[in-house]
Amino acid sequence: MHPLDRAFRLILPVGAAAVLVTVLAVGWFTQPDRLVKGYEPDQPISFSHKLHAGTMKVPCLYCHVGASKSRIAGVPSVETCMNCHRVTKTGSPAIIQLTRIYDSGRPLLWKRIHNLPDYVYFDHRPHVHAGIACQTCHGEVQTMDVVYQHMSMRMGNCLGCHRDPRAALPGRSPVKRGPENCYACHR
Amino acid sequence: MKAHLEQGTPKHWRSLGERTLTPETKAAGWNEFAPGSAEPVAPPMDVLSRRRFLGLVGATAALAATAACSKVDRGFIVPYTKRPAEVVPGVANYYASTFQEGRRAYSVLVKTREGRPIHITGNDEHPAYKGKTSPRAMADIMRLYDPDRLRGPKIDRKPASWSEGDRLVVDALRAAKATGKAVLLLTGAVPSPTRRTLIAEMKSALPGLEHLAWEPAAGDAELSAARAAFGGPAVVKAKIGQARVILSLGADFLGGDDPEAVGAFAAWRRPRGSGQPMNRLWALEGPMTLTGAKADRRVPVKPSEIAPLAFALARALNDRGVPLPGGVPAPALPPGDFHGTPLSAEEWGALLNDLGNAVGKALVVCGASMPPEAHAAAHLLNAMVGGPLAQARPAEPLASLKDLDVVVRRMATGAYETVIFWGVNPAYAFPAPGRLAAALERVPHRVWMGVLEDETSALCEVVLPEHHWLEAWGDYDDGQGIVSLQQPAVGPLYDTKQGEEVILGWLKGLGAVPSAGYHAYVQARWSKEVYPQGSPVSFERFFEVALHDGFVRAESSVPAALAFNGAAVEAARRTPAPGSAQGFDLVLAPGYAVYDGRYANIGWLQELPDPVTKNTWGNPLSVSVADAEALGLADGDVVKIEAGKAAMEVPVLVQPGQAQGVLVLALGYGRSTGSVATGIGVNAFQLMDAESSSPNLRTGVHLTKTGGRRDLPVTQAHHRMEGRDIVRSYTLAEYAREAVKGRSEEDLVTLYDPLKFPEHKWGMVIDQSACIGCSGCVIACQSENNIAVVGAEQVVRGREMQWIRIDRYYEGDPRRPRTVHQPMLCQQCDDAPCENVCPVNATNHSPDGLNQMVYNRCVGTRYCGNNCPYKVRRFNFFEYTAFKKDPEALAYNPEVTVRPRGVMEKCTFCIQRIEDARMRALGENRPVRDGEIVTACQAACPSDAIVFGDLKDPQSRVSLLSKSDRGYKVLAELGVRPAITYLANLTNPAGEDKDA
Repeated sequence: MHPLDRAFRLILPVGAAAVLVTVLAVGWFTQPDRLVKGYEPDQPISFSHKLHAGTMKVPCLYCHVGASKSRIAGVPSVETCMNCHRVTKTGSPAIIQLTRIYDSGRPLLWKRIHNLPDYVYFDHRPHVHAGIACQTCHGEVQTMDVVYQHMSMRMGNCLGCHRDPRAALPGRSPVKRGPENCYACHR
Repeated sequence: MKAHLEQGTPKHWRSLGERTLTPETKAAGWNEFAPGSAEPVAPPMDVLSRRRFLGLVGATAALAATAACSKVDRGFIVPYTKRPAEVVPGVANYYASTFQEGRRAYSVLVKTREGRPIHITGNDEHPAYKGKTSPRAMADIMRLYDPDRLRGPKIDRKPASWSEGDRLVVDALRAAKATGKAVLLLTGAVPSPTRRTLIAEMKSALPGLEHLAWEPAAGDAELSAARAAFGGPAVVKAKIGQARVILSLGADFLGGDDPEAVGAFAAWRRPRGSGQPMNRLWALEGPMTLTGAKADRRVPVKPSEIAPLAFALARALNDRGVPLPGGVPAPALPPGDFHGTPLSAEEWGALLNDLGNAVGKALVVCGASMPPEAHAAAHLLNAMVGGPLAQARPAEPLASLKDLDVVVRRMATGAYETVIFWGVNPAYAFPAPGRLAAALERVPHRVWMGVLEDETSALCEVVLPEHHWLEAWGDYDDGQGIVSLQQPAVGPLYDTKQGEEVILGWLKGLGAVPSAGYHAYVQARWSKEVYPQGSPVSFERFFEVALHDGFVRAESSVPAALAFNGAAVEAARRTPAPGSAQGFDLVLAPGYAVYDGRYANIGWLQELPDPVTKNTWGNPLSVSVADAEALGLADGDVVKIEAGKAAMEVPVLVQPGQAQGVLVLALGYGRSTGSVATGIGVNAFQLMDAESSSPNLRTGVHLTKTGGRRDLPVTQAHHRMEGRDIVRSYTLAEYAREAVKGRSEEDLVTLYDPLKFPEHKWGMVIDQSACIGCSGCVIACQSENNIAVVGAEQVVRGREMQWIRIDRYYEGDPRRPRTVHQPMLCQQCDDAPCENVCPVNATNHSPDGLNQMVYNRCVGTRYCGNNCPYKVRRFNFFEYTAFKKDPEALAYNPEVTVRPRGVMEKCTFCIQRIEDARMRALGENRPVRDGEIVTACQAACPSDAIVFGDLKDPQSRVSLLSKSDRGYKVLAELGVRPAITYLANLTNPAGEDKDA
């Protein structure tokens, strides 16, 4: 067989296939949706949103006070937990652990779930004021025992809703669309 | 070859080593390739070879693929355990406090985020400063986060504990008390009444204590002349805002560190129509100052010639019928004649007219570096024409350099048991540091207290770290009826203490009544002396309100005005004029940014272009155009200056407008401690004459060219407009004749559809008539927008990063030019040339009229920067943030991205402030109010020259101002339609009154 013939019949197709498989595999492995969606780390205290937000119907803003006042929704201070847990369920191991942290003044290190890049300046305020439910982006948190990331939170998610926010907005909202210019989020 | 090598000495050899066969050459014979010879070229920083790089890439890819199989860890969220009631993460808190520099105290607001100060601005409720402050006050936040700060006490340069340090000091003070030997306490000015009380208490507990309050850059002549003219230490408060004619005798009251004077002056400089009056500023000065640059008439005069000229002026005014104050006989003055002065007959007549016609509404201000005779003449002139506009009031006495010199001589005789340096640096600022060091060796105990280790702390055995003012309590009395409070805005970062608290501890050791700390001490004094007795409000509430406001009014505490003592004039007149005929006059002025050297370790200030010379990172010697021609000097030539016994080599900078025969050198450079400050410029304090009554002014100075050259890090080397009317400047008469024909951009034809702005159109108006060029906006912007400092070498290459710069243009004869300042920042053009050329659409237009720059899209082609006609885009040539050391990053504004290497950046009109205001308005269901959004530069501008707002709102301040008949767009002919309207500069020169 002519050496070139061999190259065309064997090496080239196999090589091309190998490159294609590599590209597809790397692409699939590193796709943001697969990497971030469903992230569900173990938390230092086994806090259940299903119990608090679902069964007990504590409003989201009771703990995440920043969402209506600040860009950052924030995680409640340990003191906020203690508002109730000074008297409620004081015998449970998790609450004993919480009380110990509170009394010592040590910081409580929750695992971060939602994280936007440093150059994204998402502001919770206008979204809360427009009446968009927290669940739109964060998923049905009131059904989660352990919170996981529901949406990949890529720019496509933001723009999709900003271009057609009807599904997310309450009925009769005056808002027609969200801003799409760069400075709305990046600075 | 092998055989040869093994057998013995070879016949032919390439090196001596090969011939004598050292073991190394023998081994080398076996290795065909020396280690590293496979590398193509020696890598610059022993980094990677191509092979190793490819190997690492492969390994990294494999690792990344493995890592990609699991979710990425995002770290932690750490909430407050107990959240302070007023802190909401993500929302800034403002605290009123006070920053002190010398005798001046600035009431400021400290912006904090999650408990750390990130920005300083003026206190908007303060009646004098009206929300403005000095560039140095804004930049001093970097001293809080200075990595060089002392983190704990030291004894003999070794880390020690506070109790050890305190014990050493108390023992030394006890010994001094027992033996009756003297103790010296050297501090800066003490405008704090509570600190003064404390020092008085210390004096009564320790009778041998001598307290010297010394400000190295204060200008001793001003102090001694005020003492002679008013019979005691006094300060003249010039009411700039009430003066119609101001004569500056080498004064730099528009130097940016007195926002009250700047605001009052600028209020007169922006007539809304030709009918409104303007004030008139005359400047007779040797150096080119910001005040001179703003003057309507400026005459270059050597400082040593100013006193005779001013006395002649007084005599001429008297001849015109302006009465002399009591005690000054007319014959004591020289003839009122302009002959022999640098003024022409026309100038002399116009100046006399202006002053003579404005009796009671004129003001004479004399510069701190002028000789005492000039100050005496200025006091005399003020007594004649100024009246209540220049009232002298008793002030805290300050020690002069002469006083310090006497103390150093006594120290050398062993007169002191202990010296305590508190916040002063004489080992740097005393002209004879060797003599001071030798004298200090005769003092058994040397104690130093301060924030940053300096030349003096190196000579002290006990070194105690003090709180930065943002961590400490304090109060200040401005002598004009306002007492301001200083409160901590952050907890102490290190093992430091408040200076006053340390002294309270020593007092306890000396047997005084213990106090519960300085906070309680301040409150105790306030409850007795500041709190109005019998007030229906409780003291606790009164103090709380004072803390909130930052100050209280205490008009009753203002001392009575002092009368002018005419005898001082006689004495001053008898002083022979210094020999000015030979040699140069050398003016040693405080560095514009670094002042007396205390801010030399702040990179922001080192890189702030001097508003007059535009030089950064150092202090070249300013020479006049005429002298430079005569001596054959150009910018960067190194010269040797000799003043008496002192001499040093320094590069020169040719300064238009400077008087012939005058040299200017800035103080505060040439430090030998501090990682930023060391080796920048030369120490001009060493040229001072410790025995002179005006050490800031040397006469008979000699200059020789050495032949050396140095690149000056100057940000604006080009000062001409090349025939384009980039800045417009009119006299009041021209303005009245409606010679102003701006607004040419309306006539430009465009093929494009005009842009539509549905909601807002952000715009700005900059009034060049009000702008004095102080550069406060530059520092405010740097702090607000996390702008990097790049260093002298990069500035030489034109890579400075400041988003706003002050362009300075000269007009006319370089020996006597007129000057206009023009703040230049991104013009946010509607048809922005930068947007069209970006290959990745990283810069484009927003629906509210902003030219957006998206860092995360930018790939760094720099096309936009090339295509920008205003040259306001800045490129990150390096990872400048990599030079940051802990804890500098704490000063970052968390609302603005820190830009990495390879990214273009520029002014955003403070988009973070716009967005925040929009979001707040949205939450309250209302439109954004006019004036609600204030950009950082606007907030800092002491002359209120910058106005920002919505051009879509026809009633907004910016809309109304942009329609002014002085308005024009810079480079309007390009048709880029900028969003910034400049208002033409106006001057009010004498001699035009008739035409107007």
